Amino acid sequence: MDSLLAAVIIGVSLGGQYALLALGFTLIFGILGVVNFAHGGLYVLGGYVAQAAVSKLAIPYPVAVLAAALATGAVGYAFERFVLERRIDDHLATLMLTLGLYLMLSTGILVTFGAESVQFAFPVTGAIRGNGYYIPLENLIVLATCLLAIGAVYLLLFRTDFGRASRALADHRAVATAQGMRPHQLFPLAFALASGLAGLTGALVTPILSLAPHVGDPVLATSFLVVILGGLGSIGGATVAAFLVGLIEAFSGVYLGGSKGALALFIIVLVMLVVRPSGLLGRETRGA
Amino acid sequence: MRFRKAKLFHLPLAILAATIIPAKAAECELKLGVVAVLSGPAAQWGIALRGSAELAAAEANAEGGLKVGADNCRISVVTVDSKYTAEGAAAAANNLVSQGIKIILGPIGSPELTGLKPIAVRNELLVVASSYAKNAIGPQWPLVFHGGPGPSGWADPIIKVAKQKFTIRSVVVVAPNDQGGTDIASVVVDAYSKNGIKAREEYYQRGTTNFAPLVTRILNAQPDAVDLASSPAGDAGIIVKQLRQAGFTGPIGRLGGPGTDEIARVAGGYDVLKNFYWYEPVLIDDKVRKIADDYRRLLNASPPENNLFFQWVAVARILTKAIARAGTIEDTKKIADALRALPVEDEALGKGLWIGQEFFGINQELSFPFGIGLILDGKVQALQRHDAATGK
Repeated sequence: MDSLLAAVIIGVSLGGQYALLALGFTLIFGILGVVNFAHGGLYVLGGYVAQAAVSKLAIPYPVAVLAAALATGAVGYAFERFVLERRIDDHLATLMLTLGLYLMLSTGILVTFGAESVQFAFPVTGAIRGNGYYIPLENLIVLATCLLAIGAVYLLLFRTDFGRASRALADHRAVATAQGMRPHQLFPLAFALASGLAGLTGALVTPILSLAPHVGDPVLATSFLVVILGGLGSIGGATVAAFLVGLIEAFSGVYLGGSKGALALFIIVLVMLVVRPSGLLGRETRGA
Repeated sequence: MRFRKAKLFHLPLAILAATIIPAKAAECELKLGVVAVLSGPAAQWGIALRGSAELAAAEANAEGGLKVGADNCRISVVTVDSKYTAEGAAAAANNLVSQGIKIILGPIGSPELTGLKPIAVRNELLVVASSYAKNAIGPQWPLVFHGGPGPSGWADPIIKVAKQKFTIRSVVVVAPNDQGGTDIASVVVDAYSKNGIKAREEYYQRGTTNFAPLVTRILNAQPDAVDLASSPAGDAGIIVKQLRQAGFTGPIGRLGGPGTDEIARVAGGYDVLKNFYWYEPVLIDDKVRKIADDYRRLLNASPPENNLFFQWVAVARILTKAIARAGTIEDTKKIADALRALPVEDEALGKGLWIGQEFFGINQELSFPFGIGLILDGKVQALQRHDAATGK
């Protein structure tokens, strides 16, 4: 196999998944100023909702993916509206509350579904094979869906009143509120959108990898890495950083191996942050 | 009147006796410590370990307690979550020591045992653990025993069977890059090399979710077979799935432990595993199934799902036997002497051996008959029974 081509294909595929995850994470930080520790838990919840919908209710997979996004979005909305909103300006409290949500989600899933991985296969199998490369069809479909979802989020944020209002709140909450933006209405919607994205990613990605209660832990770590590299709160930065991290991970994994590759990824990110502390496209650190 | 006086005289004695006898019985309580991972991806192993101790305790208590010297000791089990980390196991051991516990069953993971051993040495604890670490036991830890052999015991016979079934001239052994992975992978590599198979290691960071880069790297080495060693079942399932997607058609082994059902679930079925071989610690037969029935009867609960439970029940039973034979619940050196002198035999698992001298330098490793699992062309074969590993 041509390793170079393989690494590019793997890197782009990873990048699409990371971008979708990081978008939700950075949206919540950018708009609400909250570091959402429950992001990995919502990813796992999305996976289990889709799996249960397919295996127990015999719902077609695409509908199950949509159901997972809506269900996690609803959880996110309710959590922000009834819990987080009360302490939204207390950064320590929001950290603890989102961490608490994560623990509740992961423990609830563990108790309900057990500790072992459950069977959840992507409905499409097979691969496009060429001279020196192969692309699994499931990866291609997931990448296309991720790119569509990313495009939809951009449209929502840059072409709708909700998006403009959310970005105004992210820029300066006091001024935006004085001009009529309503954080109490917009914050739960933004949290729901971000949670829905995490759930959507979980429903899309867990069938091609694995679904178990603990698979959200590395997702949280990767989301952190991507949004910090991209610039906390920067949507464009997160997208660029996600593909960059995906490519670095793929190239370092293929050419250096699993151990040195992981080390190389963190060294490269470290050097980038030393050179540009605000991240790739971050303008300034939010006053958290 | 004299009769009454005598009765009055005897009354305080009777009250005294009535208070002393239960007090003496209550004194003889054997607290068996269990250091087990009860959270995270390895929780099934810890649940199996805890269940085995609870069953051994319930069996002894159902017969009026464990006969230790002149006393019948009621056994209670105190379990602390070790979280599959060195610091978690160390904290768990310290917790048990603070409760006056001297005998510990577990832990299972290599990092856990590494963290626990200094506390065991400091407090003269008797530990029966089951890590696959290269230094799990040794002459410097005379009170630490091994509940079941690692790959140094059983890898060689399984590789011989795999060689008969498949053409294997080269293999890539894949494992996480921490002690729980490197110790096992290096022993497995040695076992392949001794069988004339060219072997190399590939490691990955624990927490990796997508193994496509690693799979590309493995395929570049063009091995005949891939061995997943101690990669957790969830990781192993993804690696198998991605190897097959990438076009790898050779046999895949897992000389690291049970979990084939979970690997098949993640990979997409036994068809995807195609040609697969693995170590199965216990062969399930009627005698072994009776253990599960006993658990339901005595504890009024479902037994743990993981098959390691059955192996651990045999370990817990032999440990309680040793305590009874030693005639003490305090003197761990005496209990260790009694344990070493006991023949390895279990009503369900059969006759075994004490091994470990050759690999660890100390003969404190329990070895029972085990199973060799095979999947040929996607069809699961009946487990092959193998006599207890000799470690030679």
